[in-house]
Amino acid sequence: MTCDSIATFIPLYYYGELTPEEEDGVEEHIHQCRDCAHAMEQQRVLAAALDRRDMQVPPLLLEDCRADLIAAVHGGVSQLTAPVRSSVKKGPWRLFLDAVADSLSNLGRLRQPIGAVALVAIGFFGARLTTPRPAAVAHPAASDDNTFTTVRSVQPDNTGGVQIAFDETRRRVEHGRLDDPRIQSLMLAGAHEDNPAVRWESMDLLNYREGATEVRDALLNAVAQDTNPGVRQKALEKLKPLASDPEVRKTLSRVLLTDDNDSVRMQVVDLLVAHRDDYMVGLMQGLVQRERNDSLRLKLEKALKDMNASVGTF
Amino acid sequence: MADAAGTVGARLSPQIDSLIRAAQSGDQDAFEQLVRTYDQSVLRLAMNLLRSPEDARDVYQEAFLRVYRNLHSFRFDCSFHTWLYRIVTNICLDQLRKRKVRKEESSTVETSEGPVDRMEAFEEEAAHADPERSLWNHQLRTRIEDALRDLTPRERMVFELRHYQGLRLRNIGEILGTTEEAAKNCLFRATQKMRSVLGDFT
Repeated sequence: MTCDSIATFIPLYYYGELTPEEEDGVEEHIHQCRDCAHAMEQQRVLAAALDRRDMQVPPLLLEDCRADLIAAVHGGVSQLTAPVRSSVKKGPWRLFLDAVADSLSNLGRLRQPIGAVALVAIGFFGARLTTPRPAAVAHPAASDDNTFTTVRSVQPDNTGGVQIAFDETRRRVEHGRLDDPRIQSLMLAGAHEDNPAVRWESMDLLNYREGATEVRDALLNAVAQDTNPGVRQKALEKLKPLASDPEVRKTLSRVLLTDDNDSVRMQVVDLLVAHRDDYMVGLMQGLVQRERNDSLRLKLEKALKDMNASVGTF
Repeated sequence: MADAAGTVGARLSPQIDSLIRAAQSGDQDAFEQLVRTYDQSVLRLAMNLLRSPEDARDVYQEAFLRVYRNLHSFRFDCSFHTWLYRIVTNICLDQLRKRKVRKEESSTVETSEGPVDRMEAFEEEAAHADPERSLWNHQLRTRIEDALRDLTPRERMVFELRHYQGLRLRNIGEILGTTEEAAKNCLFRATQKMRSVLGDFT
């Protein structure tokens, strides 16, 4: 191999894109050629400097992007109208989200604005769709304010027109007291809705009363299985009066070991330490040894001290 | 340095396929799971290329809405990762081309505390440990940033996909609608340009 061909191979060698024979050729050459060995070193220095330039994605940004996407997807028609927001000019979707987020930002609870944005977005875009317009094509929902339309696909058809597939949902409104069994059953149904904002709102309104095992089970189910950490946290909040219930403590100990969200786990510790039992102390003593999150580890240590238990297991 | 998105996608292929099929038939949970499998690496790619959380957020939103709208047309004739990255890289390339025209790209990152230069922030952190080394790092980084700005959008994309996302050149060619050989040439030109700025830094 010549120095010219080695120059071409150096980045490919570094990134492991050469055949074994080519790799052998490069190694043999740089072993004998000081200039090419230097070029290889330059490649390594460059790669190391570039590694340090790598940007880590802020977790909140990722959560924010996901919430925006879910809101847009659940908003149905927004996906067809939302333009890419430019840094100079904001589109209607962004302006709408900004306005709602601004009006809710003083609530101080991150998940609530996100959930509320999703809820309001459904109403906003649903209302836009169902507002009667002097459209050339009759809209099935145009005559009924309680029918909501979600467009699933828009494609050109063979005749030069457009084929639109959409779902229609009819809305009914029920009023009643929170202890009304009919309202309770609707709220329990809301706890299983696809939309995390609806699940969050349902959790917020569900209140445990003596003997209402279906409410307790719905809350436990949300804590253990809901994919949205905001919903899990809201369910945990509502489980406070049940912190001594053995079934609740069993689920909470499982969540403490398995949940991937540190805020949820922090909240679980708060609930668990409210009532001391030996099993829980053992669980926390084991966990404190291997916990990676500093805040959570400190919280566990403090909880153990508060319960007069040793921090380590012996 | 390598991102595992492609590898994870390949390893989880049967699960991914069933998620795609479920999402194609309207299962929202499946769609969300599908998004969560890939979205971190998509956002990271956009952040690295555009150096702006706001622009990266736009790319994320636009890319996954396109996926949502067009998932029904995905026919499994390539991996989902490749299909998704075709969408993402097209959007990013458009942004990079616009910036080339406007010549306003910056390494400044917009944060809630105001604009912050990632390189400067790193340098300040390092300065406590070794001021001399820090100055050397700062100069090297400035040169690298300049060199990155001088790459064509396509060279920049190939480089990002290989160096930061850890994709194979064959896969990169497939994503960008070109050959492995053309991707190799792009990578070579990109690294040559960047190595030439190193000068006496080694």
